[in-house]
Amino acid sequence: MTLHSAVHPVAKAVNWNRLQDDKDLEIWNRLTSNFWLPEKVPLSNDVQSWASLTPEEQQLTIRVFTGLTLLDTIQNTVGAPALMADAVTPHEEAVLTNIAFMEAVHARSYSSVFSTLCRTAEVDDAFRWSEENEFLQAKSRLILEEYNATSNPLKKKIASVFLESFLFYSGFYLPMHWSSRAKLTNTADLIRLIIRDEAVHGYYIGYKFQRGLELLSETERTEIKDFAFALLFDLYDLETRYTEDLYDPLGLTEDVKHFLHYNANKALQNLGFEGLFPEAICQVNPAIMASLSPNADENHDFFSGSGSSYVIGKAVATEDEDWDF
Amino acid sequence: MEATVLEQPASNQQGLDYHALNAMLNLYDAEGKIQFEADRQAARQYFLEHVNQNTVFFHSLEEKLSYLVRESYYEAEVLEQYDPAFVKAIFVAAYERKFRFPTFLGAFKFYTSYALKTFDGKRYLERYEDRVVMAALTLARGDENLAMRMMDEIISNRFQPATPTFLNAGKKQRGELISCFLLRLEDNMESIGRSINSALQLSKRGGGVALLLTNLREAGAPIKGVENQSSGVVPVMKLLEDSFSYANQLGARQGAGAVYLNAHHPDILSFLDTKRENADEKIRIKTLSLGVVIPDITFQLAKQNEEMYLFSPHDVEKVYDVPFSEISVTEKYREMVDNPQIRKKKMRARDFFQLLAEIQFESGYPYILFEDTANAANPVAGRINMSNLCSEILQVNEASIFKDDLSYAYLGSDISCNLGSLNIARAMDGGDLGATVETAIRALTAVSEMSAIDSVPSVRRGNDESHAIGLGQMNLHGFLARELIHYGSAEAIDFTNIYFCTVLYHCLRASNELARERASSFKGFEDSQYASGAFFDKYVAKNWVPETERGAALFEKFGIHVPTREEWAALKEAVMKDGLFNRNLQAVPPTGSISYINNSTSSIHPIVSKIEIRKEGKIGRVYYPAPFMNNDNLEYYRDAYEIGPEALIDTYAAATQHVDQGLSLTLFFPDTATTRDINKAQIYAWKQGIKTIYYVRLRQMALEGTEVQGCVACSL
Repeated sequence: MTLHSAVHPVAKAVNWNRLQDDKDLEIWNRLTSNFWLPEKVPLSNDVQSWASLTPEEQQLTIRVFTGLTLLDTIQNTVGAPALMADAVTPHEEAVLTNIAFMEAVHARSYSSVFSTLCRTAEVDDAFRWSEENEFLQAKSRLILEEYNATSNPLKKKIASVFLESFLFYSGFYLPMHWSSRAKLTNTADLIRLIIRDEAVHGYYIGYKFQRGLELLSETERTEIKDFAFALLFDLYDLETRYTEDLYDPLGLTEDVKHFLHYNANKALQNLGFEGLFPEAICQVNPAIMASLSPNADENHDFFSGSGSSYVIGKAVATEDEDWDF
Repeated sequence: MEATVLEQPASNQQGLDYHALNAMLNLYDAEGKIQFEADRQAARQYFLEHVNQNTVFFHSLEEKLSYLVRESYYEAEVLEQYDPAFVKAIFVAAYERKFRFPTFLGAFKFYTSYALKTFDGKRYLERYEDRVVMAALTLARGDENLAMRMMDEIISNRFQPATPTFLNAGKKQRGELISCFLLRLEDNMESIGRSINSALQLSKRGGGVALLLTNLREAGAPIKGVENQSSGVVPVMKLLEDSFSYANQLGARQGAGAVYLNAHHPDILSFLDTKRENADEKIRIKTLSLGVVIPDITFQLAKQNEEMYLFSPHDVEKVYDVPFSEISVTEKYREMVDNPQIRKKKMRARDFFQLLAEIQFESGYPYILFEDTANAANPVAGRINMSNLCSEILQVNEASIFKDDLSYAYLGSDISCNLGSLNIARAMDGGDLGATVETAIRALTAVSEMSAIDSVPSVRRGNDESHAIGLGQMNLHGFLARELIHYGSAEAIDFTNIYFCTVLYHCLRASNELARERASSFKGFEDSQYASGAFFDKYVAKNWVPETERGAALFEKFGIHVPTREEWAALKEAVMKDGLFNRNLQAVPPTGSISYINNSTSSIHPIVSKIEIRKEGKIGRVYYPAPFMNNDNLEYYRDAYEIGPEALIDTYAAATQHVDQGLSLTLFFPDTATTRDINKAQIYAWKQGIKTIYYVRLRQMALEGTEVQGCVACSL
């Protein structure tokens, strides 16, 4: 009897000491050292601040977070697994499982915010709203269509980058806006951890897209690029209407739109394409812009939150020479 | 008071409000320059659009003061100590100084957190000048000349009282003036219960509280002879954490606490694991700060790559008849290892250090107290076994004994400390460091004399008997950079050494003068190295003068006299004869908020970033430029991550030798560092005679391709 079967391919163990693409390890290291859980952020310190928001502001915040939860859920259950099927290296698959898991952590985080700050009825209302909001549903549908198993691997990646680097940001705007006004600052810490992750996700998937695109002919490339821009236009159209729907009552829509333009360009950049929106309409409010930085560089005191600073370190044993005294 | 619910700013012509203008500091302009002007505009806008429009108007000073007293905003007793003509004169003198905040954060921080507001929190009743004068009038206790001097020192930014003092002085509804409390716990339920009550009481009054857990029996230890009964230190930590979250000072800030544990306590691993990223919710500690007390023997054991034994505090107390914290583990180590009556666990000493560094990576904690170093440098009798929330307070304490109803069978003594810091740049500019130090010591002593914490009698006793104070320093990096000297260079360390030596001389001189005036010294003076004169040996044995040309030139330039050995010898005589009023004099705190309103760099640390991102519950995210920095002297503003741990430790070591208590020392690493790098820095710090380590901080740079473009704090 032979151990090799002609029908079943050989099962292969992933060997991290033989890399086809160094980027996989770099991203793996970054993502694992960035691992976090919502429990580390003292959200309950925001309870008083939450109470200082008007009912309209509270409702907007819950809705925005519900919208974000939906996107993270899609990315966790459909997006990242769909990309896995197209992985060209076993290491890429491993990175994508990490991405999928962290998306689940993100989706879970919003619920931590809800359970800490809001009443159950308000949250249930918002989840119902998210199922009924036509723009939110439409943009989810557009993305989900591309995640379809029969879809072109590069098109899936385009959809994924747009989700990670563009669609999230209409939601991220609000907690950054609050924190620049000294409100919900611990929630903002949590969102900044999510932004830190999404920045890497969008960058990595965009990178893999570019590697795939290089293998195509000139005509095929043009076709893919046209597809990307067409999808972005469709999403942009929905996104502006979604933004107006949410932010008009607070008078923030114009500012959020600038932010959308900025991030749309950023998403295109991740895919290796030139930006679409001219500089003049990408002028994001500096308070939002400066608060976005995914770096762990802020200084805070022990009376406040935990910040988004710390990472899981690399353990290396000390040697005799270190103990020279 | 609850976070101000003032109207949000209107926009200026460019459509940018002051938050946006301030944030421009963190974004380069088209030429790649830092936009300092935007921040100055932000400060201006803030006054025009916000402060001026939300300040209650009075026609005259008299009208204002009588209103504030009548409506119970100001304490009448403070003003009644003075002739009304003098009160008027000191307010006028303060306003004549035309004080302006140079940064947005300075102004914003002051008005958000310090200025007196109407009870509904909506309008301001004070300007900066009013707060300064009220602090001076309160602390001078009726002495006109002293009040004027204090006002001058504070408004010139030479001396800055710590937050609790500056925030509360002269207000009718207020917390305590003291910053910081340290309590010890003994191995019984009464002591644990009483300390939770104390933590609540002290948090309510606005202080940070540290508690010593070393004496509590470990998990699994017997209770009343029945084995496996005790749950150890972690559940006590949980109780404390919840107590601190509950209590806050009129909503001004949350209670904050720290707990210290000896490295040789059997619960040390579970103690540290509470800060793990993946710790179970039941044991995870989120907001309580941790500190570990490490004796020299732990380093010796690690050097020899041996195992370290952990000793049951319960058994140690039975054998030696004193609590574990009273034992020098280094001294008794072999004896305890060989004693079969003491149950023990063991682990590899190097594994302990590595674990310590792993947790520091994940959480920044624990702080470290090098126990034997602190005790060797302690000039007074008694034992130092813990530090505080900022790891700069190092004082001796004494256990209390409780009755069943939690009253005292024996009243021990616990620690409190009130702090204030000199702004090194302004103190040098002032040209009379001796006078500045003396006024500061008198202000801090006043806080000690005016405070009586009756809710925690052991703290009250400690304060009454010791009059311990802590004079700190800030703006070292700002000063050095302004003088075009690199932080950590030989000249910088030379300056630091002689500056701290000079400050020490004046601290002792002032406290000696106070002892003569009061005809009284701190309790236990006769058993101190001050009384024996031994403390002064190193200052009389040689001349402490700058060794570099650049260092000497600095003292000359600002006309600061460096005490000679003859002057030291005379001071020695005077102290031995008349004593010292304060048992402790110096402690260098990390200075957060007060360094912003004082336009300083924090403590004697290097800056963390050219443009610092400051985040706090009350103020949100705000950007702060390093003092005296402009687009031409940027090279002198290398940040702590670039400077690295060695130069920082060397700077602290130079200062440490002249400071009787501790100095908050934070270590900074890039995220590419390993636990070994952290361990090496700790070993180096211990070797250089550092007493405590505060946070470990890591900076993770954005992955190439994911950074925010044109961001100042994000680029290297």
